[in-house]
Amino acid sequence: MRSHSAAMALLAALAAGVAAAGCTNNPYPQADRDKKVLYSSFHDAPKTLDPAVAYTTAEHVITGNVYDTLLEYHYLARPYRLIPGLAVSVPKGQDLPDGRQTYRFQLRPGVLFHPDPCFPPDATGRRTREVTAADLAFALARIADPAVNSPVIGSFAQIEGFADFSKRLEDLRRSDKAFAALPIREQYAKAGGIAGVLVHGGHELQIVLSQANAQILYWFAMPFTTPVAWEAVAAYDGKDGRDSFADHAVGTGPYRLALYEKQFRFSLARNELWYGTLSTNSDAPGAVFPTEIDPKDSIEGRIDPAYAGRRLPFVDRVTFYREREGIPQFNKLLEGYYDDGGIIKESFDAVIQNGRLSPAMRARGMRLDVTVEPSIFYVGFNMEDPVVGTPAGERGRKLRQAMSVAVDSRQYLELFLNGRGLPAQTLLPPEIFGYDSSYKNPFRQYDVERARQILADAGYKNGIDAATGNRLKLSFDTSATTAAASLQFEYLANSWRQIGIDVEINATTYNQFQDKVRHGAYQIFSWGWLADFPDPENFLFLLACENARSKNGGPNTASFCNAEFDSLYHQMKYLPNNARRADLIRRMLAILERERPWIELYHLEEFVLSHAWLVNSKPMGISYPAYKYKDVRPELRARLQGEWNAPLRWPLYLVLCAIVALTVPAVRTYYRERL
Amino acid sequence: MHWVSDILVVLLASAAVGVCRYVSGDRFWRENATELWRRRPFAIAIVGAYLLIALMDSISWVDPASDANALTSGKPRTIIDRLFVPETFTEASYSAPLASVAFYGGQPLLHPGAHLLGTDLLGRDVVYRTLKGVRVALLIGGLTSLVVIPIALLFGVSAGYFGRRIDDAVFFAMTVLASVPTLLLLIALIMVLGKGTVQVCVALGVTGWVHFCRIARGETLKLRETDFIAAARALGVRDGTIIRRHILPNIAHLVIITFALSFTALVLSETILSYLGIGLDGSWGQMIDQARNELSRTPVIWWNLTGASIALFTLVLAVNMIADAMRDVIDPRTRREG
Repeated sequence: MRSHSAAMALLAALAAGVAAAGCTNNPYPQADRDKKVLYSSFHDAPKTLDPAVAYTTAEHVITGNVYDTLLEYHYLARPYRLIPGLAVSVPKGQDLPDGRQTYRFQLRPGVLFHPDPCFPPDATGRRTREVTAADLAFALARIADPAVNSPVIGSFAQIEGFADFSKRLEDLRRSDKAFAALPIREQYAKAGGIAGVLVHGGHELQIVLSQANAQILYWFAMPFTTPVAWEAVAAYDGKDGRDSFADHAVGTGPYRLALYEKQFRFSLARNELWYGTLSTNSDAPGAVFPTEIDPKDSIEGRIDPAYAGRRLPFVDRVTFYREREGIPQFNKLLEGYYDDGGIIKESFDAVIQNGRLSPAMRARGMRLDVTVEPSIFYVGFNMEDPVVGTPAGERGRKLRQAMSVAVDSRQYLELFLNGRGLPAQTLLPPEIFGYDSSYKNPFRQYDVERARQILADAGYKNGIDAATGNRLKLSFDTSATTAAASLQFEYLANSWRQIGIDVEINATTYNQFQDKVRHGAYQIFSWGWLADFPDPENFLFLLACENARSKNGGPNTASFCNAEFDSLYHQMKYLPNNARRADLIRRMLAILERERPWIELYHLEEFVLSHAWLVNSKPMGISYPAYKYKDVRPELRARLQGEWNAPLRWPLYLVLCAIVALTVPAVRTYYRERL
Repeated sequence: MHWVSDILVVLLASAAVGVCRYVSGDRFWRENATELWRRRPFAIAIVGAYLLIALMDSISWVDPASDANALTSGKPRTIIDRLFVPETFTEASYSAPLASVAFYGGQPLLHPGAHLLGTDLLGRDVVYRTLKGVRVALLIGGLTSLVVIPIALLFGVSAGYFGRRIDDAVFFAMTVLASVPTLLLLIALIMVLGKGTVQVCVALGVTGWVHFCRIARGETLKLRETDFIAAARALGVRDGTIIRRHILPNIAHLVIITFALSFTALVLSETILSYLGIGLDGSWGQMIDQARNELSRTPVIWWNLTGASIALFTLVLAVNMIADAMRDVIDPRTRREG
């Protein structure tokens, strides 16, 4: 009987142990409970942290916080406005007599790189050094360097000597092996540098452009042009077990990369040496919270006015965990373990009701912020196609107009994006210069009867070609083969079928699709564009003939070429935002309205859910991670997390009782029969 | 090209009538067919109903072009299309089975209470889509079996009967093919061949013949050593004739049973391919794929998945039951009194 008792005692101990364990589902260390740590998630792992190369949102989350830029966007102002970052002021372009233009950036003194072993120790033993204008020139040279493979190399082509430097560097490396073996900085120096990038003293950088271009400033608000320490590039070459510069960020930003397991998690820690902490920079616009606060932002609880003028940053650490699936990520957001996040499609109707947060979400103190992204999603026509394109003349134009009128963007958005988008009237989204909220594109007002009439005017009454008596058959090429995507294309095809046009969907692989585009073997396609910077040029260039896919392999996939449009584009391209530019844009949009190379579908809207403890969270729309402006209230977070995640113990006890109830008779029977 | 499909259907129907006449005229097959019907009447009726639906969805004709209906004029429409009129029998988006208002928003439906299994994201009737999937499933199962069985018979019987080098070569090919993960091979083949009914059938056929080939080889090996084959050889009958007159008739029951069993496996394989985004348009697999995110919606949208799943389950179960009964009835070793 002793062993019988021991078995029962063991069982009871096990039961107690199981009951005591697992009392919390908190995935974070208990020690961080009261710390100012902001928790967020990411889906796609960053591929590179090299600021000259990193281009995706996932990468900008890190590079945008670790690397400072000369200029920044005002966090709260809309339309977007540039403010000085590392630069003392936003420079004004000076027009030179020969048509060139120059910009002079004054770098703030005392800006230090993050402490890193790549730097020799200074007099105080710190392994860092001051940023100079030469570091900015070095960053631009890296963009021009063909070996770096920067995706924005073409965007800086207007800097005088940029392309020449690139070619010179390549030629020297090919012809001279000794040159190719030199450290990168020496190669750049021997190659003569970029003629249009001039360093004056330690803190002035001058850029000379071959022609006036006001939009070049936007590129200095992106991490591509951040100062780069040549020591870091030299030290982290990825050889002999050393880190690669693509995985080892050494910047000047308000946060430094404290932990980087790119497939799983990363963490940004406050940079104690950030330029914003220096007393000399107490008034630097990029180092203090803006004082111009939109009353709407404060009324809606988005921005706390008490923060106006306070020194940045507010949180000590920002930690990101990878979430490959939307549902677990969203569940953790609802449990309070992420401070903000998007809304998954599957739960949208439970979270948003009648365009507002549901009562359940409001009861949790959650806040919804909606912002239109500077984006355009559209259906395009191959303008070189004999049926739908320019060769078809007026008939083709009317066909495109009819197809445009037959597509209901509003219903499309409701069906596929839970209404998370703004039906587009032109390719310009709100907050972009040239956008007119009162404008209604006559060919983007859904009207099936009118579409049928225009189609009949084109000689395709009910979709039957009057010349041949055959039904009009078109093909819609896409590289999306998923079920969700096929439904979207099916919807568009149905829209055209209802006016009699038979549209066949050809879903192929991305490579096959690209091949078709290269050979012009397509009629209709669907595409989207998220602007690099908030300027109309960054949208209108998508339809400039010089960027036609068929001619230059450019982003103008419709291969739309219109002499008048191109002329207006070149006049508008580098103008500052003024009345003349607005007029040029209006005329360009009128051409697009008539010609219909695109059916503008929608501008994407970003829906962000934030918890009550997250302060100063205002979505930017553009890829601009602004964690330095955000703050958290850890005590409120800890309390609400506790309330929302109170362990539900009774199922466990029930199971334990069931186990005991089943086991005890079995054990008793066993001993009775054995003994 | 709809007339090609019509001609094929007529040819297939004629062939089916011919087979029925042959079966009724041959005592062995007539008795077996009667026994099969006695054992599995419901399963046979279900498969018959599926065949009828597929037939109704295979015969199409074009109405004269009319201004009144831009959606349908000039297009071939099948009997199923004419029964459901999918161009007009739609709603704006989701609606629950037999509902009178839309699932989201609560607007009145155009056809209240008429959608037995509700409508999908694009407002299409789920019953109509489910019935349209029948033809695709039967095409996949039937057409692919027509690819698999000749290949498997050719290689299996040749290897089993002739042995030696031919057997080595066939066995090597079988081993190599069996060692490649089937799903990966299928995906690779479809990527190369492209999407389409014939392409998917060929891909499934190329990867699906090994199992039956092994059975045919084994059975032929056994038959090759029997007395009547030895006697035929001794009398100087040519190999081709022996295979045609003695081997093939003796493994006919295996062909029929394998056809039935591989049919269901192929229909299920297509569903998996559709789930991976490389299946056929209009198949149940595509419906299931499109419905997968609907299960995690709040509230749950279950009717799309239900329609396709029930149709698939019923067909596979019925065919499997018939195959099981066939084995019992036709194979003399397993034949027993029902």
